[in-house]
Amino acid sequence: MSMSTGKLTKIVLLVLGSVGLYLLATHQHGQREAIRQAAVALTPACVEKLGRYGLARSEHYQSPYALQRTGASIAVQGYGEDDVRAIQRGCNIIDDTQGSLAKDPGRERWNAPRFIRGTHVSCDHCHQGIGDKQDVAGNPLKGSLSLGASWVMADMYDRFTGLLSPFEFRQMQCYINSSNGYKPNIADDVIRDVTAYSRFLSAALELKIGNHYDEQGIDEIPASATPKQGDDYVRGEAIYKKKCANCHGPQAFGLETNGRLVAPALAGPNAWNMQSRNYFYYVSTILPGFICRNMPLGEENTLSNQECRDIAFYISNLPRPAGDRQGPLVALQQQILMTVLPPLMRLTKSAGGSEVTAERVLERDQSRP
Amino acid sequence: MNPPALQDSDARIERAHSSTRRKTLAMAGLIAGFVLWAHLGSGIPAFHSEVSSEPGWEKFRADYRVDHFGEDGQFVRAVQNGYNLIFYTHKYASRFTRKAASNRANSCAACHTAEDLAYGFVNSDRFDPKLGKRVSFEERVMRCYAGPMDGFIPTLYDPAVRDIRLLARAVAHHLQLSEGALRRRD
Repeated sequence: MSMSTGKLTKIVLLVLGSVGLYLLATHQHGQREAIRQAAVALTPACVEKLGRYGLARSEHYQSPYALQRTGASIAVQGYGEDDVRAIQRGCNIIDDTQGSLAKDPGRERWNAPRFIRGTHVSCDHCHQGIGDKQDVAGNPLKGSLSLGASWVMADMYDRFTGLLSPFEFRQMQCYINSSNGYKPNIADDVIRDVTAYSRFLSAALELKIGNHYDEQGIDEIPASATPKQGDDYVRGEAIYKKKCANCHGPQAFGLETNGRLVAPALAGPNAWNMQSRNYFYYVSTILPGFICRNMPLGEENTLSNQECRDIAFYISNLPRPAGDRQGPLVALQQQILMTVLPPLMRLTKSAGGSEVTAERVLERDQSRP
Repeated sequence: MNPPALQDSDARIERAHSSTRRKTLAMAGLIAGFVLWAHLGSGIPAFHSEVSSEPGWEKFRADYRVDHFGEDGQFVRAVQNGYNLIFYTHKYASRFTRKAASNRANSCAACHTAEDLAYGFVNSDRFDPKLGKRVSFEERVMRCYAGPMDGFIPTLYDPAVRDIRLLARAVAHHLQLSEGALRRRD
């Protein structure tokens, strides 16, 4: 009798547990659907970008950008209300991944920071111009990691992973390595909305599927594209101090003031990890290519190939989080270095030299015309 | 000098070791032989990464200039597998369809041309009023397996889904379609 009562209790508990999980899942689905249906508060940059590209609910879409540049524009499939909201949310995620401009980051950015370690990373730091960097005349810039150009060339063989890498996988890799974080599910809204935005960009720019465009990816710089003086840590440090330290800080740990990020970390706990393609020892051509084509802001393409490689080499020698493949010992070593080195460096530099502070950077920014 | 009993024991141990070594070597040889046969001599598709060439592939390849992506390579092989999946679904996606060779409509090609798929691809990820949600190309393929193909739903990662998307992408490239391209009704 007591045995059958025990069994019955277990069955009842199991059923109650299952019903509880079902109700919880239903509730969560309902919440997600409510967010999908809610109006989107755009960031100022997204208002400008999406307004310029004429995103609106309509049966057909014609790109004002293409019309302005070529005098003709092809009518393509338009967007419904749900599509427009997905594109808007995707733009917000790229522009402000951490949700610092959102009233409720958890709802408005699908809580994207839960996939990121640290407080600095935003997609827009690498994919500048909200994934669509252009010059003053509106020309896309070479090697600017354009998301629209990346979408039309997705699914190709990726030499680093050995996979035919879909666009969604590439986003996952960004979260894991460049953001030193965690992988979202492939069907997560945080991935799907960024895909929707990238696809809209490719429509607005009238890019053709499978074509290569200069603005796609990185304009990689191998050692063979330099005078082959050797990548030099000391030379890199000197150029870094002259060209980069003003914004990224003397130790490349980034600069924050009053809780506002001035420039992201290039080393330290908020930076990309050792498994990222930005890490010089893993891939030696990508970070130099990014620096040459995209840095310093407003002075792009002013550094020589050798200078870019030197800076990249120097930055990659600074401590940063270990990636998946490095193992616990390297992770521990990097953690110790990230903790011990900054005070030591401050101590050695305290004898002379000017300390760059966030306040000084802001003063400089404000004094710009 | 060892007593005879100990000498016998040593000899037995030596014989046992020798026998174990022979067995190990034989097993290693067997495994190596199997691997070599599987990869080089068997011709069984599961043992090599080449895709079986079905009738019509060479024409398809030429018509849509698949060689733009290289004569061979991961992408082209995936496109070829996509071709097999679309035109010989009952054979190459037998896990996901109950349709057999004897059925009249036993492949994706019974309803869709390759160009349909390309246009479907560039117009995917849009809101579908019938389903009341935004639907990706992959989800459409999965629904086809479950519905018209009277079968089962593959996962999002399965080549049975992925390779159809890659084929659609290759055809879309050949047609130089942009995102959202509309089909002209001539």
